[in-house]
Amino acid sequence: MSDNTLARVTHKAADVLLIVSGIALLMMTFIVGWQVFGRYVLGSSPSWAEQSALTLMIWFIFLGGAAGVRDGFHIRIIAVENMVSKSTRKKMRIASNAVVGFCGLAMLWWGGELVVRTWSHVIPSLGIPRGMAYLAIPIAGALTTIFSLERIFDDPAEKAKIGEMSAFGVETEEGDA
Amino acid sequence: GAADVNRPLLAADILPDGFPTVEAVKYMGKLMSERTDGRLSIKMFAGGQLGSERDTLEITTFGGLDIDRIAIAPLNTFEPLTIIPALPFLFRSTAHMRGAMDGAPGQMILDALQPHGLVGLCFYDSGERSFYNTKRPILKPSDMKGMKIRVQNSDLYVSMIKALDADPTPMSLGEVYQSLVQGVIDGAENNWPSYQTGRHFEAAPYYSLTRHVMAPEILVMSLSRWNKLSKADQEIVKQSARDSVPMMRDLWDARVNSARTELLAAGVEANEVEDQSAFSDLMKPVWERYIVSDKQKALVKSIQSMEL
Amino acid sequence: MEILVLLVVLVVLLMMGVPVAYALLGSAMATFVVLDIPLVVAFQRMAAGVSVFSLMAIPFFIFAGDLMYRSGIAERLVQIAEGTFGRPRGGLGMVNVGASSLFGAVSGSAIASASAMGSTLMPLMKERGYDGDYAVNVTVTAAIVGLLIPPSHNMIIYSAASGIGVSIGDLFLAGVVPGVLTAGLLMFVAWRVAIKRGYPGGKFPGWRAFAKAIVFAIPGLMTAIIIMGGILSGIFTATESSSIAVIYTMLIGFFIYRTLGLKTLFKSAKESVKITAMVMLIIASATAFGYALAILEAPTQLASLITSVTDNPIAVLLIVNVILLVLGTFMDMSPLIVIMTPILLPVVMAVGVDPVHFGIIMMINLGIGLVTPPVGAVLFVGAAVGKIPVEQAIKTIWPFYLALVAALLLITFVPQISLALPNLF
Ligand code: NA
Ligand code: NA
Repeated sequence: MSDNTLARVTHKAADVLLIVSGIALLMMTFIVGWQVFGRYVLGSSPSWAEQSALTLMIWFIFLGGAAGVRDGFHIRIIAVENMVSKSTRKKMRIASNAVVGFCGLAMLWWGGELVVRTWSHVIPSLGIPRGMAYLAIPIAGALTTIFSLERIFDDPAEKAKIGEMSAFGVETEEGDA
Repeated sequence: GAADVNRPLLAADILPDGFPTVEAVKYMGKLMSERTDGRLSIKMFAGGQLGSERDTLEITTFGGLDIDRIAIAPLNTFEPLTIIPALPFLFRSTAHMRGAMDGAPGQMILDALQPHGLVGLCFYDSGERSFYNTKRPILKPSDMKGMKIRVQNSDLYVSMIKALDADPTPMSLGEVYQSLVQGVIDGAENNWPSYQTGRHFEAAPYYSLTRHVMAPEILVMSLSRWNKLSKADQEIVKQSARDSVPMMRDLWDARVNSARTELLAAGVEANEVEDQSAFSDLMKPVWERYIVSDKQKALVKSIQSMEL
Repeated sequence: MEILVLLVVLVVLLMMGVPVAYALLGSAMATFVVLDIPLVVAFQRMAAGVSVFSLMAIPFFIFAGDLMYRSGIAERLVQIAEGTFGRPRGGLGMVNVGASSLFGAVSGSAIASASAMGSTLMPLMKERGYDGDYAVNVTVTAAIVGLLIPPSHNMIIYSAASGIGVSIGDLFLAGVVPGVLTAGLLMFVAWRVAIKRGYPGGKFPGWRAFAKAIVFAIPGLMTAIIIMGGILSGIFTATESSSIAVIYTMLIGFFIYRTLGLKTLFKSAKESVKITAMVMLIIASATAFGYALAILEAPTQLASLITSVTDNPIAVLLIVNVILLVLGTFMDMSPLIVIMTPILLPVVMAVGVDPVHFGIIMMINLGIGLVTPPVGAVLFVGAAVGKIPVEQAIKTIWPFYLALVAALLLITFVPQISLALPNLF
């Protein structure tokens, strides 16, 4: 069924996002470690360290955040959801996924504007465009929109478990309810 | 929307309420209000409520803020002419800096901002920056050898410290005090009032008057809001900004004097350096690296040739 | 009026079950539209909100803690703790309070403390029969103590924001006794709750086994020594220490304990990224939200309320407490200090409150804001690391809140708790 293909593709995409983000975290770790090493052992601090680590962090937060929409691991308040009937709950989930999807569109559109407007600014000590740091926002926005659309039409939480689901948040709570 | 063309101009400053730059912009708002019968005014957000200087500058270029008071360094990342007044040992004295920035060279820099979505209004003072450290008085460049000196996140400052054979450590201002206490860094550099406000003197009591940088502060307006004003109102905004400059400088001078007096009384050991040219001679590669275009060279020349 | 848009949209979205990060972003965007601020600004604020060097401690300490757990280092440390301080019922809860306080004291960051202690201790507490909510409650509330015990970068921000040169040295001294007091109250609560729930006590394994455990734990114990020693001796900053902790844990996990492999390492990195993203995306959105609050001058309006109501010192301090608690719920700590100090300090000084004392009041107030819903970064980190929904943690957290409020009231109304120490010197 095409639905399943979609689910498989987005699941893979979310996993790739987390792998890329994990690698960014590892790189960031070594960059900041290198900063200390440079200062004490080599006697000079690498001036690019701070800005490159910060840029990596922006990237993995936004990409990881998008993956979180697919895997449903974002923190949210489910108290109301648990009090209402099953059909109302379904409507609430559709509405809340629509809000997330709209946020994704906004990230794509106005985050894109942010990239364009700061492309001519330079990140000091790196020499790359400031917009490069912000580029994570529109990319994460596009993915967020796709993932939330999937959740509206084909909520993975309502179906059998596909791959590794987060142990907390929506899914667990559904199971308890 | 078009309906609120006359809403107050939103202004940002990272320095706290009561600081000379903040008071000057408020004064400018008062002048504007008097001159337009209350149509135009300024609402000031001081103390970094709206973000760092780089942030508020970006927001101003987007038209999200109307007026922004910043140091000149954040502009370096997109307008090469703004690097010039930040060059180490360019200005011979504060009087030289003020004359240059109020005159034709300053106007050239203000005009260069227009393509970036900004209208340059005027320059304020940021004082004379000198080195302070936890170890010893700096009398000659070799006293700084190997010292870990905190700098702002700016390539220019990094090269300057390297040229002095010290170790530049870019770090946000908020981490400096702790890092001085712990010995992560040995020193930093700033003007008297900032040295006092950040309480860095508690940890680093040696203040050596190198006066290496006298880069001014700058007041900018967003071009999108500017374009919504009538020609007459634009002139009023510009003139009110200019009229706030002498007031700012009086407050600033008083502030520098009180900071110096209080710090010396608190036990800070200040010293003049033996020979300033020993420091400035080392800056040649720094200048060569950052002055590349003919426009920049012409600007440097016109500043140097001013008789002040 | 616009502030109603901000709050109503936020509450509606949160109730609908929209994830906190997107609810904050959505309500901020709605307010921006009403205020005619270009929406591109919202995303600049989001990125700027997480582009902060000191925040790197969050992913690093989460990562280090997770690696310590996966490599078995944490297990060995806990065995020692159980053998020494953990023997009464719920001893591990009290050990957690002590460790979180110490860690927070050195790192200066409540979030870092909750990240590190949470990912290290919580899984082990659960393995020993403690409930997830208890582990989260203990970890997040104890993380607040570190804000009071020096060094504390928030006190440095306070000193700068005061504009009257409050001595950082005095502030640091003033925080010591309130910090110890708060830790003591939390330990008491951790112990009482543990008894009520019938948690086990640690067993003393006998001197021989204990000595053996210590020998095996030495490389692990070195982690703490390297972090704390490195910060205190100035080899690196607290933020840098967090990356060193990751690298060191990797090294001993790979080469000494040989419990880590590349596969586990990537798994750990992925898991850490998840937790970091969910917490820091909220911080990012909260920055856009805070911008709207600041433009609306919400803090100033609240402060002018106080002066119009009363000039009784006790009443003023009570109102200030409430205001800081409310604001601390919605906004992050450092921007709040920067905004509120110049507004509130003159108000409280006019009724005779010492500025050093007020700094400590502010720290604990805003600290409590970090562990209370709807927006509390430390609470979120704790719940995320403990892998339980926030609601589940809050349901049973009230005895710990009670301890914090008791500490807050004592610190507020007995100035000597803060001022005795700095007055000695
Ligand atoms: Na601390
Ligand atoms: Na809160």
